[in-house]
Amino acid sequence: MEHNKGNYSNGVVKGFLISAVVWGVVGMLVGLIIAFQLVFPSLNLDLPWTSFGRLRPLHTNAIIFGFALSIVFAGVYHSMQRVLRTRLFSDTLAKIHLILYNTIIVLAAVTLLLGYSQAKEYAELEWPIDILVAVMWVIFTINFFGTLAIRKEKQMFVAIWFFMATVIAVPILYIVNNLAIPTGLFSSYSIFSGSFDANVQWWYGHNAVAFVLTTPFLGIMYYYFPKHIKLPLYSHRLSIVHFWSLVFIYIWAGPHHLLWSPVPDWAQSLGTAFSIMLILPSWGGMLNGFLTLTQAKEKVQTDATLKFFLVAITFYGMSTFEGPMMSLKSVNGLSHFTDWTIGHVHAGALGWVGFMSIAMLYYLVPRVWHTKLYSEKFANWHFWLGTLGILLYVVSMWVSGITEGLLWRAVDSSTGELLYKSWNYITDQLWAMRLVRALGGTLYLTGMILMGYNLYKTVQLSPSRTKQA
Amino acid sequence: MSESKITKSHTSLENKSALFAILTTVALLVGGLVEVLPPFLMSSDLFVKPIASVKPYSGLELAGRDLYIKEGCLNCHTQMIRPFKWETDRFDPTRAYGDAPYSKGGEYVYDRPFLWGSKRTGPDLWHESQIQPSAAWHKTHLINPREVSENSVMPGYPWLFENKVDADTVIGKMETLKNVFDVPYSDEDFAKAKEELADATEGDAMIAYLLKLGRDTANIEGQ
Repeated sequence: MEHNKGNYSNGVVKGFLISAVVWGVVGMLVGLIIAFQLVFPSLNLDLPWTSFGRLRPLHTNAIIFGFALSIVFAGVYHSMQRVLRTRLFSDTLAKIHLILYNTIIVLAAVTLLLGYSQAKEYAELEWPIDILVAVMWVIFTINFFGTLAIRKEKQMFVAIWFFMATVIAVPILYIVNNLAIPTGLFSSYSIFSGSFDANVQWWYGHNAVAFVLTTPFLGIMYYYFPKHIKLPLYSHRLSIVHFWSLVFIYIWAGPHHLLWSPVPDWAQSLGTAFSIMLILPSWGGMLNGFLTLTQAKEKVQTDATLKFFLVAITFYGMSTFEGPMMSLKSVNGLSHFTDWTIGHVHAGALGWVGFMSIAMLYYLVPRVWHTKLYSEKFANWHFWLGTLGILLYVVSMWVSGITEGLLWRAVDSSTGELLYKSWNYITDQLWAMRLVRALGGTLYLTGMILMGYNLYKTVQLSPSRTKQA
Repeated sequence: MSESKITKSHTSLENKSALFAILTTVALLVGGLVEVLPPFLMSSDLFVKPIASVKPYSGLELAGRDLYIKEGCLNCHTQMIRPFKWETDRFDPTRAYGDAPYSKGGEYVYDRPFLWGSKRTGPDLWHESQIQPSAAWHKTHLINPREVSENSVMPGYPWLFENKVDADTVIGKMETLKNVFDVPYSDEDFAKAKEELADATEGDAMIAYLLKLGRDTANIEGQ
């Protein structure tokens, strides 16, 4: 291709960037629909493929595997060529990866709407799709290590370490948790039962957060953030300490999703202890980000992309403190099963993953298309829409979740009888907060659509495009 | 920052991608194995204590369970009652489960996959057979929840009562469970399943499943 004059392959990067914007908007739109369904249940339409139970897995899968993973693949393929000073090991494999990946996401969307599900959270996809995912990951792994093997820069930059952790950990987690005996083309039963299954599922579920939504995004932070402000990373030593401790500790913390459950206490306690320890490596990453930023404080006021980086790192720090607190058994007794958990997840998803992704998109799209961002003003608008959206979302879910948790446990002090026996009464109390959450989501999605438009116009400014026209 | 010994030796590691990958794998596997392996190595009594009265799902109940998965009910309903007084009061209102009315591992041995859920937008269902034993109520509620439960935010599932269950598929699944996982289905169970499933709607199956929840462990002597 003409516009690919450099020695790096950019085509696949562009493909994944477009995938990210498309699946991001789709996934968030589905999220918004289900948020409104919880406020206005008639929006379920009494139809199978529009009801909450089928849309919610579509939302989570589209965001985690459609949006976030697109960003990760784009970021890995783009940055690794540069820090390793080599072209990708194989453009063909990368192209197959891109096509197979998008095929998988489409298949996922269709089968989830049809109700084909393994019922395990973030592992709903049935076995034929699981096999495709495994094949795709093998292709990615070959290309990743192949590129490492032909690298011209011997020293691997810190971003590569974090990407490598993802490349290695994801297949281990994914394959073990998805082990099942097929009973039909799109049905199967887990090889694990009851408590065993719960233990394996949340070992997987928690580490999907670790190795899909955390380590690769730290890699993205470590590469794109210093690049954007054109200043070096604050501390190499801090990166070393927090990388190894994060990779070692994260994987222990899964059972904090199963506190007070029939899973034995030793497993629960282990989950809690390691969750508390996890604060340190997590904050190591946050601090390295913040301290890098202190070198460029004055730019924060004007630079929209930098604002996204800054708020993303802030939410990373916040979520990785809130998470361990919710892993304490006493706090978890209140927060578990409530909207608080949903708020916590979205502080991480909208704040950390979402804003880090958005920052990367604003940084990368103009660069790979060899042009300038169409509108810095729109990007600033996007920042404020997004930030306000997150705040409304997170605060409303805190209030709703804590309200819910307190009403469940409220008893008459003299008789010990439950004060709020009516489930619908409790649901009613949460209505307004759930509406505020949906409005927060509306703002966030509006920002995303504005970004989509801004990036579309940016791509149209590309010199190769204008030449063609 | 000054270059420490650690930083220096790590820099040499950063030049060796294969060794780096191996060490990363080792770091991952330590916690990974400790979390996942012991349950399978421990004597089953330690991880999950068996409960004699717990029976496998009948054909119709199994069909209902698969529909519960298909419709994603677990996105809003839990099936796991925690050991808090306020929680057991709410989900064991008839005191059918003795002095330890919370969920125990042995109750879930036939659950593949487990369906504990992570969000309780609607109430927990693990003791549903004792909380709402009326099949007629469940039918009305599944078709239009707001008809019997004012202000409920649950979707309606009218199509469950229009679609028929495919008996052969369910029987095939029972055979898989028996052959692969040693679920103790007898010939009688298969005969009964054929009979139950012959003209059943998906709604019938769903209700049979809901009324199975908590039935095997309720009102047992000596609890």
